Amino acid sequence: MTTDRRRLLAGGAGLALAHAAPTGLSRPALAQAPGTGVLKFIPQADLAVTDPIITTAYVSRHHGYAVWDTLYGFDGDFNAQPQMAEGHSVEEDGKRVTIRLRQGLKFHDGEPVRAKDAVASIRRWAARDALGQVLMARTDALEAPDDRTIVFRLKQPFPMLFAALGKPSTPVCFIMPERIAKTDPSQPIREMIGSGPFRWKADERVPGSRIVYEKFADYVPRADGEVSWTAGPKRVHVDRVEWHVIPDAATASNALTNGEIDWWEQPTADLQPVLRRNRNILLEVPDPTGLCGIARFNHLHPPFNNPAIRRALLGSVVQGDFMTAVIGTDRSLWKDGNGFFPPGTPLASDVGMEALTSPRDFEKVKRDLAAAGYKGEKVVLIAASDFPSLNAMAQVGRDMLVKAGMNVEFISTDWGSVVQRRASKEAPARGGWSMFFTFWAGLDMINPGVSQSLRGTGQNAWFGWPTMPKLEELRNAWFDAPDLEAQQKVAREIQQVAFEEVPYLPLGQYFQATAYRRGITGVPKGFPMFWNLQKGT
Amino acid sequence: MFAYALRRIVATIPVMAVVALFVFSLLYISPGDPAAVIAGDQATPEDVERIRASLGLDRPYLVRFGEWVWHIAQGDLGTSIFTNLPVSTMIAQRIEPTLSLMVITLILAVGIAVPMGVIAAWKQGTWIDRSVMGFAVLGFSVPVFVVGYLLAYVFALELDWLPVQGYTPFSRGIWPWFQNLILPAVALGGVYIALIARITRATMLEVLQQDYIRTARAKGVGQRGILFLHALKNAAVPIVTVIGIGVALLIGGAVVTESVFAIPGLGRLTVDAILRRDYPVIQGVILLFSFTYVLVNLVIDLLYTLFDPRIRY
Repeated sequence: MTTDRRRLLAGGAGLALAHAAPTGLSRPALAQAPGTGVLKFIPQADLAVTDPIITTAYVSRHHGYAVWDTLYGFDGDFNAQPQMAEGHSVEEDGKRVTIRLRQGLKFHDGEPVRAKDAVASIRRWAARDALGQVLMARTDALEAPDDRTIVFRLKQPFPMLFAALGKPSTPVCFIMPERIAKTDPSQPIREMIGSGPFRWKADERVPGSRIVYEKFADYVPRADGEVSWTAGPKRVHVDRVEWHVIPDAATASNALTNGEIDWWEQPTADLQPVLRRNRNILLEVPDPTGLCGIARFNHLHPPFNNPAIRRALLGSVVQGDFMTAVIGTDRSLWKDGNGFFPPGTPLASDVGMEALTSPRDFEKVKRDLAAAGYKGEKVVLIAASDFPSLNAMAQVGRDMLVKAGMNVEFISTDWGSVVQRRASKEAPARGGWSMFFTFWAGLDMINPGVSQSLRGTGQNAWFGWPTMPKLEELRNAWFDAPDLEAQQKVAREIQQVAFEEVPYLPLGQYFQATAYRRGITGVPKGFPMFWNLQKGT
Repeated sequence: MFAYALRRIVATIPVMAVVALFVFSLLYISPGDPAAVIAGDQATPEDVERIRASLGLDRPYLVRFGEWVWHIAQGDLGTSIFTNLPVSTMIAQRIEPTLSLMVITLILAVGIAVPMGVIAAWKQGTWIDRSVMGFAVLGFSVPVFVVGYLLAYVFALELDWLPVQGYTPFSRGIWPWFQNLILPAVALGGVYIALIARITRATMLEVLQQDYIRTARAKGVGQRGILFLHALKNAAVPIVTVIGIGVALLIGGAVVTESVFAIPGLGRLTVDAILRRDYPVIQGVILLFSFTYVLVNLVIDLLYTLFDPRIRY
């Protein structure tokens, strides 16, 4: 592709649509040579849901990338790159987009991958994904005129089309056989048949304990492109990948130290110093977009239905305190100065940041709260005590609210109860809530198209239900922005509005390290994927 | 006795029915929503609602309870909300590790604790007695997970004799199977050994004061014969009772031990199901545990007749 790659995802895809000629067709590669060895991996959590479309759980996405493939990949510069797609053409002023599938793609059941499989998969994914919904709303027709051709007939040019099909934020647009992709999007699929580089071994699965993938011998990696995140050739060098679910962090650490396990996705902050001292183990941060903590307000009920009160609380946030509680004092593992887009990503800016970075003055916050009309209403804070990072943020958050003079009721419970209670739209005193804490992967906040917590659609918005028409208007303007510069301009406006409306409090960005045995090479950037890595002796 | 056993087995039916009603109702009113867990953190409330409806979780209590009872009556424990596997299959996958752990722990505990208690009673007031009692206090006081981590550190990380975690099925060989269970069984057995040793000592002390023991000594029966043939048999009823009660301890302890040693047993299945609110699995496992407990009590009651001929049913 000759287009400026950064523009594709960050918004310049419009330019790509307008100018892209059919991209160079890739040569089919030879089927892969046999791999060697078994890679033993500890995932961040058990794979509770195996359908990567119905859920937004990250662990299901990682499973998804093993079993299924995507039309477009996503590289380290945040750009979409053809993956199953051989190339594409954009015609009729960007209103007709034709994507051509690579030759020789096969599903694990031996059936060829056809364009109608892709069409059905896009439709199911789009029913569940916010960006997919925008894409389909702007699509007049999505067709498969032959086995290798997918045609989008758009109502208007959609610069984000390739970025949407290749985005790694959940849910990902994985391509499934048509018969599976026709499953109701609210019902989980039951068959794990994909065309990805690994085959799911259903017979070896022990739910909650072990998940096994086997190299798919008929997978044909791209012949061209550079290996970067989910883009480029996916060459598999191991025969099997075994996921061993070890919920206890100390046991996981011991297993890695003892060589019983090769790779531990998310070592806990307290055990990282111990692992760093071990010369047989390497730690690195795979995802530079990190994880961003947020305190979410309930916008339906007092006191946080009042934007002036939400705004006043910005003055009490010390992001460093939250991040230290979550990941420790090592400054290389967290950043403050985190606005509404993750630092280091194309849309991040310093607009309005003084609200978070100016000197903290709790007496002023108290005065501002009083001036905003806060009269001591109870703030019901729900906290997940079984989720260390969320519990840490909640504890610091409670302290912050108390210092600001708010009347806090702290409800510490398990995550399962938090997710149920946060769905309640009742008043806080009647089983509802006022505030909860969570974090999002930076990739899920990288732009307004994917950032759920920036939506302002009221009752249809993410938990907290803010009504912020201005933000929605700007989001739509962002979709239409023709290039990165225009997108950044809209993003700055979005951040300005967000600091006025305050859908949530940004609490900082932290980086989760991954740990693996020395001898493993090619550990990917981004998140766990099992191609291109090799296991030495 | 056969008629008695049969009556007791039949009597488990109403007990299990009460347990079923209690478990179902408790889960129904307890907070949590499997649909929200399936949908994930980033899903919108609308998505969660759609999934809840598609799973039938929005139906009334009586409809769901009736359906569940109807399936149970046909021997069907239901299907996991998350894995879509039958609960009976999931239990079958997990029962071997838990049974293995419990059996080895039981053998280890009884094999060590009973002689320890007998010797402590015999050597009452000596350093041996005090050491045994000191060990018993330690066994009670130190949590299973602490013992587990210490054992893993010494025997797996430092000495490299045994694996840190995992489970190898019995079908893959006795040694690989046993190797994975040594540390968990020792960790889990600590409390159990302490409990049985203390009861054995106390009961033996009481029995050793009896007249028939003096008579046996006067007849020239050796010390070993007095302790293990005459005294222990008569002390057996409370010891067997405690061993039975301890099965509940083992079930509870297995949850922790299986987590510390990453053993894919019923304990972890239960915890995972509770955290996700996988109701059919929780209900199935609790029914199984309850049934096991009722059964163990029955076996203990029947064992009494072996040790004490005065007991007849």
